[in-house]
Amino acid sequence: MNGGIFGVIAKRIIVALPIVLLASILVFVVLRLLPADPVAMSVPPNATRDEVEALRRALGLHLPIHEQYWIWLTKIATGTLGNSITYAQPVFRLIGQSLPATIELVVVAAVFATVIGLAGGLVMHRLQGRAGEQAADVASTLIMSVPEFLWAIFFILLFGVALNWLPFSGRLDPGVSVPHTTGFLLLDCLIAGRPGAFVNALEHMLLPALALAFGTAPLLMRVLRSSLMEVAQEDYVTMARLRGLNERQILLRHSFKNAFLPTLTLMGVQFSFLFGGTLLVEVIYGYPGIGNMMVEAVRNTDLPIIQGVALVYAFAVLVINLAVDVLVLLLNPKLRVRR
Amino acid sequence: MSKSHSITRRSFVGTAAAGATALALPGTVLAQAKDSLVMGWPVDPPTWDPVVRTNPGIQSIYKMIFDQPLTQAPDLKVVAAVVKAWKLSDDGKRVDLELRDDVVWHDGEKLTTADVRYTYLERKQKGEKLDIATVWRNLTDVQVESPTKCAFILSAPMPTAIPWMAFLANFIVPKHYVEKVGPEKFGEQPIGSGPYKLVSYERNSRIVLEAFDKYWGPKPSIKKITILIMKDVSARVAAIQSGQADWVPEIPIRDVARLAAMKGFKAEAQPITRIILLQIRSDQAFADKNVRLAAHHAIDKAALSRAMFAGKAVPLSVITVPGTPSYDPSFKFAYDQKLAKELLAKSGFSPQKPITIGMATTNGYFPGDYDMARAIAQMWKAVGIEAKIEVIEQTKYFELNRANKLPEATLYTWDNATGDPEMFAGYLLHPKLPFSSWKDMGVGERIMKLFGTVNYDERIAGYKDIEKYAVNEGAAMPLLQTVLTRAYKSDLKIVEYANGWSLPQTWSWT
Repeated sequence: MNGGIFGVIAKRIIVALPIVLLASILVFVVLRLLPADPVAMSVPPNATRDEVEALRRALGLHLPIHEQYWIWLTKIATGTLGNSITYAQPVFRLIGQSLPATIELVVVAAVFATVIGLAGGLVMHRLQGRAGEQAADVASTLIMSVPEFLWAIFFILLFGVALNWLPFSGRLDPGVSVPHTTGFLLLDCLIAGRPGAFVNALEHMLLPALALAFGTAPLLMRVLRSSLMEVAQEDYVTMARLRGLNERQILLRHSFKNAFLPTLTLMGVQFSFLFGGTLLVEVIYGYPGIGNMMVEAVRNTDLPIIQGVALVYAFAVLVINLAVDVLVLLLNPKLRVRR
Repeated sequence: MSKSHSITRRSFVGTAAAGATALALPGTVLAQAKDSLVMGWPVDPPTWDPVVRTNPGIQSIYKMIFDQPLTQAPDLKVVAAVVKAWKLSDDGKRVDLELRDDVVWHDGEKLTTADVRYTYLERKQKGEKLDIATVWRNLTDVQVESPTKCAFILSAPMPTAIPWMAFLANFIVPKHYVEKVGPEKFGEQPIGSGPYKLVSYERNSRIVLEAFDKYWGPKPSIKKITILIMKDVSARVAAIQSGQADWVPEIPIRDVARLAAMKGFKAEAQPITRIILLQIRSDQAFADKNVRLAAHHAIDKAALSRAMFAGKAVPLSVITVPGTPSYDPSFKFAYDQKLAKELLAKSGFSPQKPITIGMATTNGYFPGDYDMARAIAQMWKAVGIEAKIEVIEQTKYFELNRANKLPEATLYTWDNATGDPEMFAGYLLHPKLPFSSWKDMGVGERIMKLFGTVNYDERIAGYKDIEKYAVNEGAAMPLLQTVLTRAYKSDLKIVEYANGWSLPQTWSWT
């Protein structure tokens, strides 16, 4: 079994390399074809045309696209990803400073989405044919039809302004600080032995994570319910019923295990989208992740950062998909036997 | 603020009854500690090295931590700061400076002319790419006479040398510290000589400042500043309303009126030294002066102000704002649809036979930009100008201008905290500078001459003339003096700067 899994991982990695390369070419070429000038935001108001041209040359923007791309590839290989035009710092370091915040947020959002999605799916299944199922159906449709950034604003207005229950800016209250160790704030709070700060950080994370989770949970809910309905028609469910198991036991011991696999595959796809969702949600909540940085970079046409973050997104999608494939293999005996 | 905030959160994790109590809170203002302030700021500094970028949105933040050689009073007048006496030579090629001798850096070292020389000259000589080096491109030497006296030597006259010392990127940095830690580290963990020290910073999220007790100037009344980076406008409005921030800028004009009416808040829209204008080409369909003037006469600027800024933005007839040296209140460029139609008729156009032009605009770069462009297009249509609107990114303006591909008119905004006319009409109409879309040398030559005019009175008089001449020639279409909107707790006393600076070192709680 292990050999099979490792084989799958190896194959996936081999396939991933050209995918990342293609994604990098696509992002690079598209950005170069845009008629926007990254130098525009980087010169003083009394700059002369010659000085602007000199800056453009210094950034290599006068070179043919393939040469610029080659230079960038060499910078990837050396681990710098080039220098940000706006921040005048290596992109690799900038991303390294911001990525932990995004990963942390996405993980918490994924946990929320999983809990809401699976619990909702089970509840809908249990309420099958009753008025409650219709209500849950309407609720999931409503949640799904509103984009994450609108949920983000709605949560601020509801929980931040109207109820005044939760903070909605940054990662900690103004009076709270935690030594920076890993960049993963929750972990840093634990390392520093600061349970109060840990709770504070969680409170700050609650609304953005929930807004992100709302984009994913309804789909999980619906797929799980459909899978449960399909599984309910299987022979082994009928046999279990004949053996005298009650519906709750059948659901937990048989139906859920089998219905979960398609849901898990969907989770892989949806959790990849969570990274994309961070773009606006991080800006709205003043969350210092790579989504926030990406939006700023797009505003300033900071090409090295846009390219670097896009590469991180591509990499994240591949890693999540790989993790889901491995999980499916581990959970599905049929696939293991085939291999 | 933090204390009361934690109480409401306890209600969240506590009982439903407490939650119900919190429900009664909307619109109320939470108490705050009287020696601290939480600001919601829409822009994050790209770097803490203040000489790297000329970014108007962060000048106030830099001024909390760093000193400029000179500064400006609330009425825009250039006044002493670290430099207590200054003189620009008659030929504009030498600036003598005398520094205060009681200025110290946040690490206790003394600020001297060596730091000034390092900031303005030595870093440039080392090949560092700094905006301050571009600004002072003609600086050939900084002659240090003593720790408090030095002279800037320039290879060409720089009539605006003095206002530039209080303008963008002109902040003094500590030579000993930058050389010790390197420019990169300095850009992350700076020390300055300003009224506040940087305590902690998390990019795109939070800046914490603490009052510097050895500051040479008036000691700040508010000892701790927390700046929350809030780029989203709805988050800023929510933050002030919920009590999570004490002061927020750049909120929608409709929220100004709403918050001003709420107990515990003040909200204002202050006209500042930022203008909205149409950048004009001197060729294509706008080669015809009649068409340019007709386009300008057809714009009802007061109506634009009412629609977009609740009437708070000031309609402009020239490329500068009231209260600046070259502003001439007697000059008015009329809104006159009849005259616009007559001018167009002279060139053979009418509402039935319109002339077609292009107009570029951003959408969301500044408040109301796209809607304003649409409104102008409607006004033009009424007199016989058919405008095709193209939405562009701000950075695309630069590229299109460089490639000579801008349409006839582009809706644009320009910020000039100094109020000096060179930074308004000078940079916007100088045909050889990259921000100007006007290439005709009739206006250009007069502007270029003023770039070398050192005598202040002569220079200002020259700009007064050229500003009116440019408008009468149809080379400039200024629209509005725009406003800075802000909301804050009613017991916060702020100082209003005409250029929109927000400096908490001058504020206090009542």
